Amino acid sequence: MPNLQLKDIFKEFPGVIANDNVSLTVEKGEIHALLGENGAGKTTLMNILYGIYTKDVGTIIWKDEEVSFKSPRDAIESGIGMVHQHFMLVPTLSVAQNITLGIKDKGYPFNNRKKVVKDITELSKKYGLQVDPTQLISKLSVGARQRVEILKSLYRNAELLILDEPTAVLTPQETDNFFEILKKLKKEGHSVIIITHRIPEVIKITDKVTILKDGKNVATVKTSETNENELSNYMIGRSLKTFSSREEVIESEDNGLVLEHVGLNKKLKTLTDISFQVKKGEIFGIAGVDGNGQKELAEVIAGIRKPDSGTILIAGKNMNRASFKTRKKAGLAYITDDRHHEGLVLDMNVTENMILKDYDQEPFSKKSIINYNVVREKTEQRIKDYDIKTPGVKTPIRLLSGGNQQKVIIARELAVGPSVVLACQPTRGLDIGATEFVRQILINKRNEGLSILLISADLEEIVSICDRIAVIFEGRIVGIVKNGADLDLNKIGLMMAGHIGETVNS
Amino acid sequence: MKYTKELVSTLIIILITFLLAAVLIIVAKYDPGMALQSFFYGIFGSLHGFAEIMVRATPLILAGLGVSVAFSTGFFNIGAEGQLYMGAIAITFVGVFLPPMPPMLHIAVAILAGFLLGGIWAVIPGFLKAKYGVSEIITTIMFNYIAINIVGILVRTVLKNTESALPYSPVMPKSLSFPLLLYPTRLHGGLILALACAVLIYIIMKKTTIGYELRVVGFNKRAGTCSGISVYKNIVLASLISGGLAGLAGVSEIAGVHHRLLEGISPGYGYIAIIVALMGRNHPVGVIISAIGLSALQVGANSMQRQAGIPTSITSVLMGVIVLLALGKNIMFSGILKKMRIK
Repeated sequence: MPNLQLKDIFKEFPGVIANDNVSLTVEKGEIHALLGENGAGKTTLMNILYGIYTKDVGTIIWKDEEVSFKSPRDAIESGIGMVHQHFMLVPTLSVAQNITLGIKDKGYPFNNRKKVVKDITELSKKYGLQVDPTQLISKLSVGARQRVEILKSLYRNAELLILDEPTAVLTPQETDNFFEILKKLKKEGHSVIIITHRIPEVIKITDKVTILKDGKNVATVKTSETNENELSNYMIGRSLKTFSSREEVIESEDNGLVLEHVGLNKKLKTLTDISFQVKKGEIFGIAGVDGNGQKELAEVIAGIRKPDSGTILIAGKNMNRASFKTRKKAGLAYITDDRHHEGLVLDMNVTENMILKDYDQEPFSKKSIINYNVVREKTEQRIKDYDIKTPGVKTPIRLLSGGNQQKVIIARELAVGPSVVLACQPTRGLDIGATEFVRQILINKRNEGLSILLISADLEEIVSICDRIAVIFEGRIVGIVKNGADLDLNKIGLMMAGHIGETVNS
Repeated sequence: MKYTKELVSTLIIILITFLLAAVLIIVAKYDPGMALQSFFYGIFGSLHGFAEIMVRATPLILAGLGVSVAFSTGFFNIGAEGQLYMGAIAITFVGVFLPPMPPMLHIAVAILAGFLLGGIWAVIPGFLKAKYGVSEIITTIMFNYIAINIVGILVRTVLKNTESALPYSPVMPKSLSFPLLLYPTRLHGGLILALACAVLIYIIMKKTTIGYELRVVGFNKRAGTCSGISVYKNIVLASLISGGLAGLAGVSEIAGVHHRLLEGISPGYGYIAIIVALMGRNHPVGVIISAIGLSALQVGANSMQRQAGIPTSITSVLMGVIVLLALGKNIMFSGILKKMRIK
């Protein structure tokens, strides 16, 4: 008898059917992957199970009983725990305090802290979830925070754990460690559902896979009876694209983008002594776990923040004190990682967003008067060129899908003929089709001789399209390696965790 | 289709307002039929009623445009009332202290002075917000009190008419009066100034890079910064334009209606201007329509008071309700609109 059964779950949001008669069965002691692209309805389904959303139609059977959780609290009490993609922890509280948050044990509000710490230590030993219960959350690494989240569920006697994109923020080593934990959980009889879109991990760790596409069940297969290609076909309807290998780097005097000993905020060491060159016809990748100074690095290069020390050269010109507009004129294009807050004005329409960076340039405007006829023509042209799906040029950009919004940004940034492209997490949150599109464009631009700096926390992305890879850790470049067939991922993983590596200059 | 939806929600608002008005009038033991008759008589009954509506709408359009420019840029200017008074002070100074000039020039100087003084009154809070992040909602409100009391001081000291015991300024010279447009009513040239400003603001906000920058900053400051648009510069600019337009409302009230400075020249125009901007969706045409609508409501209510003895305070209640309905209509009426299959 299966432990958990979701039958024909149907959920409609205004205008979108998020789950269209989706079913899922999970046995006791099984690691089950819920695989699908962004927007396939995976998280919605799990949120319904966990009591965050209510289903429109369908049945949920948990341990032989039909249930309908009204809130996460109900789900937790019935033994279901969920670890969200964005951790729900209070950084200023200790591990033990976070784990017991909201629990009213015997003696409340005067809990027996010593006993709590002892219980947590026992639990963490049992499952190999190493953490110090007295440590503050703010002092912990992302991997350790994830272990706290899992402990939080186990402390509440969760028998089924739902993990939303658990490996998205981990280094390769942390991921391995995480897989060990999963195996222990399985051995102790827990069921685990992993929401993911990373096929290699599914193959590596799970017992069974359920694939969702556009809110519908595509297939449920045993992991041992399938392979990466088949899963990819289920998920996106075709095999994954592999990208062409690099062509020759064009050496030239002004060498695209050059950073020399750039530092930001000496006290906090946000960025320390960053030096590298992005040559013409090269994609230079910055790998690293999120939050190690990537965002700040991008902003220093774009001119949104001013560095405290060092030099930034764009096309051979010193840009240290230059504003964003000056840098743009020198040939810089900036694709931000935060579409909604930085890249677009969501309340404006497609046309208005298309000129966000060049509204004051000819031919879009002359003597402060915007020529909307030209703007509309250019917008229509770019919509065609970049295959942007929009009902019209006057459609509010808010109504476009994430992929099409990103295409608007890319069209805007690349159409004006830049020489240096600064791409910060350009595929974050995009589905696979849009992701491939963006990567292909970056490769095309490289082949045209542009210098491209790609900052991404997605190591797979860095490895698949970059020519050289630098790893950033706590605001320092810990090493630069050449990409190629002999690339040692293990070494990059170690560097992402702070080990000093080598530096290659070409 | 967008307009059908707007139209239907507006009709629903009017319907609810009238029903509520009827209930209030019946509860207060007046005759609703009589009330309705005198209300509409006040508005449509005579040329005088029409002129009166326009006279009231003039400062509301000017100040409402000012507030709408500020709101579009994310600067919540609640201080149009104070800026209006500063504009009134400016024209009075021009009238009292500057030598006589030909009429056109005199008016032009007064308009410029009014715009500048009103603008400065808003730029100070604008600067404080842009530079130090001080809440403009607090500072602009406080500046209202300061401006109103400065008027009180001036009409008793520097600007006092020495020939009279009352706290008034001397009467402005003829060259500082707007021409009357529809004799014998009070309708004056300020309306033309207001409509011209509406056209100008429309062009600036929708057709120029200046307006584009202002709107980007209003919608998303961060995106502005990331595109090289200065948030600082645009907030200061928006406060200047906003205060300047409210200042023009003060100029227009002196040059068109009162012809001298005295306390209480504005029955809260600067505050009603906020409602005008909100209901007009920060669009110049919307501002004109809602300014005229709210003026008509008040003129009708005055007539109701005169003819049927119904207190005008009922209008204040209704105005509050209209604002609530107008701001919440998208959420409140979505069910009704869905049933009517209007998208």
